[in-house]
Amino acid sequence: MNPAAIIVSEVSAAYGSKKALDGVSLAVPAGAHFALLGPNGAGKTTLVSILSTLRRPDGGSAQVAGADVVKRPTEARRSIGVVFQDSSLDDRLTAWENLEFHGLVYGMAPKPRRMMIEQVLELVELGDWTHEVVRSFSGGMRRRLEIARALLHEPKILFLDEPTVGLDAQTRQHIWHYLGRLRQERNLTVLTTTHYIEEVEDADIVCIIDGGKIIAEGSPQALKSQHGKRWLHLTPQDAETLALIQSRFPEAQALGSTALAVPADKDDQVDALLAEFRDRLLEVRFQQPTLESVFLSLTGKELRDRADGQRDADKAAGRRGGRR
Amino acid sequence: MTPIMLLRGVYGVWLREVTRATRDRAQLIGGVSRPLIWLLILGVGFNPYFRGEVYGEVRFVIPYTYLQFLFPAVIVLNIMYTSIQFAVSVIWDREFGFLREVLVSPMPRPLILLGKVLGGSTIATLHGGLVLILARFADVTLSIPDMLTALSLMFVLAFGLTSFGVILAARIRSFEGFGVFSNTIILPLYFTSSAVFPLDPSLTRTQMVTTYPEWLVFMMQVNPITYAVDALRGVLIGFNQFPPSYGLGVIFGMAGIFFVVAMIGFSRS
Repeated sequence: MNPAAIIVSEVSAAYGSKKALDGVSLAVPAGAHFALLGPNGAGKTTLVSILSTLRRPDGGSAQVAGADVVKRPTEARRSIGVVFQDSSLDDRLTAWENLEFHGLVYGMAPKPRRMMIEQVLELVELGDWTHEVVRSFSGGMRRRLEIARALLHEPKILFLDEPTVGLDAQTRQHIWHYLGRLRQERNLTVLTTTHYIEEVEDADIVCIIDGGKIIAEGSPQALKSQHGKRWLHLTPQDAETLALIQSRFPEAQALGSTALAVPADKDDQVDALLAEFRDRLLEVRFQQPTLESVFLSLTGKELRDRADGQRDADKAAGRRGGRR
Repeated sequence: MTPIMLLRGVYGVWLREVTRATRDRAQLIGGVSRPLIWLLILGVGFNPYFRGEVYGEVRFVIPYTYLQFLFPAVIVLNIMYTSIQFAVSVIWDREFGFLREVLVSPMPRPLILLGKVLGGSTIATLHGGLVLILARFADVTLSIPDMLTALSLMFVLAFGLTSFGVILAARIRSFEGFGVFSNTIILPLYFTSSAVFPLDPSLTRTQMVTTYPEWLVFMMQVNPITYAVDALRGVLIGFNQFPPSYGLGVIFGMAGIFFVVAMIGFSRS
């Protein structure tokens, strides 16, 4: 048996002249929860498209569950479940009909099909909505149904592309809890992409990707201890002060146009800074090493905030709708 | 995937198309209202003028009423509309992301397309079958074997036209564009298919007194729908303008060729 469920080696992909993935290599052990973290446009969705056989890589190779995604796509498809970033449900069909369709297309026999449909609907707590048309579902319900559908044929590997966008905290927790249990019981390998840092804290391996390149990989703890710095987040009272601090600390990172972060690993430096600028600062905050700060120190930028990410996703959906 | 699993997949895709169609009331309204308009209004209206009269003098004998003559053509019209409109379902899948759900499944692409086209053909055949309910009204007597033959021909015709719809869908980017497209294709094809008037006004060469302009006859002769309508007329009212094998050849030929072309396009996407 191959201990690695997903192997990606030197994969690159481009849209026209724009490189979406640039020589990405990674390996995901079976049963692991692997999180691909990066801002929008980092290449996460492109990588998922390649792994789910929807897009051929322009270079390199990839294997899922031991099957090459280009040479043996059918075999690869059988062992994966995919939850796409935007809905791929048929909203004129009921929840049951959507799942029935999926089961049939995966060639499931009537009895196990029925059993599994009931099981996965129960899992995502949509049992009461079984025979309702999906059009009447909220965004969160649709997402839950899609996760249920991706699990229906009992895949070995589950891809979730930005799975919790638009879900409330309780549902999110619930879903992660279930995915965790499934991983233990069935050795399910989960690959999630996200730009929500708090969601990858529980992952076994976090892979930070930016501009189509992997910039760091490891367990959240390892990443924090390797790359995490304590940062001092400052909001100066005026632009002049901001510029002054920036010139004093070349490694300072701008956070938007009014705030900045200064490395706070040397106490004397911090003391000196605070002593000098105490009266000209509106806000001072210490940031313990978090994945956010790991990201910040590795890429020199903050992961865009939530509202921003949603706006980007909407824009992307709009583009897709009016494409060509 | 074993054959039975593949069969389940085709059934699944087919079932989805049929289920969706039953929920789409607009489509059903179109399927019912079209034959009513064409037979009740156009058919009844023109019925008295369909006779061998030139300048007030009866010159030849026409063995059918206009309603009888029009009846098989209205079936074809209903099938054409429903089949070609099927492209909307394909565009829908592509634009709203459902296509990806099927593309990541282990089902081979040609079978996905087969299920889809079979689904579309089933709906189109049903819409064509709706017209048969009006048979008595149009004075067309149907025996069970005739009806079964007609339904089989209708299904094969629908299969070809639905595949044609899929080919169109690959070239159309928006729903808006499709409305224009379908009307500029369906109606001209229908009017030049010898559907609403015969190729030869007297219906038989021997009695020919007046003729249509050559260009019009030529357009009718190159239009494949002409032969489909002719085949159905042969079965339903026993009238053929061409040897019956022509109609069969064209119907089955379209089904085969259009499906293969649609499949090549679909596998590439």
